[in-house]
Amino acid sequence: MSEATDLAQRAGDRDPRVGLRAVAALRRLLEQLEAVQVRSARNQGWSWQEIAGELGVSRQAVHKKYGRQ
Amino acid sequence: MFERFSKDARDVVTCSVALAERAGAESVTEEHLLLAMLDQEGTRAAFAFAALGMADRRASVETGLAEARRRGGLSRADADALAGLGIDVAEVVSKVEAVHGEGALQRGGKPKRRWAPGHRGFTPSAKDVLEKSLRIAIARGDRHIGGEHLLLALTAMPGVVAEVLADHGATYESVQRAMFGGG
Repeated sequence: MSEATDLAQRAGDRDPRVGLRAVAALRRLLEQLEAVQVRSARNQGWSWQEIAGELGVSRQAVHKKYGRQ
Repeated sequence: MFERFSKDARDVVTCSVALAERAGAESVTEEHLLLAMLDQEGTRAAFAFAALGMADRRASVETGLAEARRRGGLSRADADALAGLGIDVAEVVSKVEAVHGEGALQRGGKPKRRWAPGHRGFTPSAKDVLEKSLRIAIARGDRHIGGEHLLLALTAMPGVVAEVLADHGATYESVQRAMFGGG
């Protein structure tokens, strides 16, 4: 019984859909978290350069995404 | 595509834009489409809502939508998928809110711009709903896209709105039965 459950569990884990959906959900969560943190940093007077440095992306990338606020 | 919209479908679109404007949203989402539809009277969709006992549960629908917004727009399916990775979304939300204030995640992941009235576009997923309604109408052999096709499309697109609809008993199948009868 528990062996069958384990097998089903592992088969589920190997289903690409399960993993891909988790990645998509993670990306959605990441986008929201990034927006919160960038907004917070800007409110505290951080420059785009400083924010970009912490995020490990270019200044242009972060400004293009969140600029014009 | 809009030239194939029936009057009640056009009304849904117009009302959803007005709702988005009133809410100060930067674009029109499928949530606005749903709320616009709940405001309608005398349409097939309104009949379906009444038949499914949803007509007077607007407050409950709005609560469901607000809860999802607070999770940063993540659906329960998203939260379940993340739980599979060991990420507790409720925990993440409460940690973020502890530092950044209640509702911190609901202010949206997209850049904020000043939107002039009348310049609100539909989000990509709201456009998907409109396109899906066209495909549903074609598949049913209907010549026009009505509110009934929009409602079916809302139940068919995975995400927060379909989940909230399902929570209130409105799935693709139940809505189809309520509006067209049979299976």
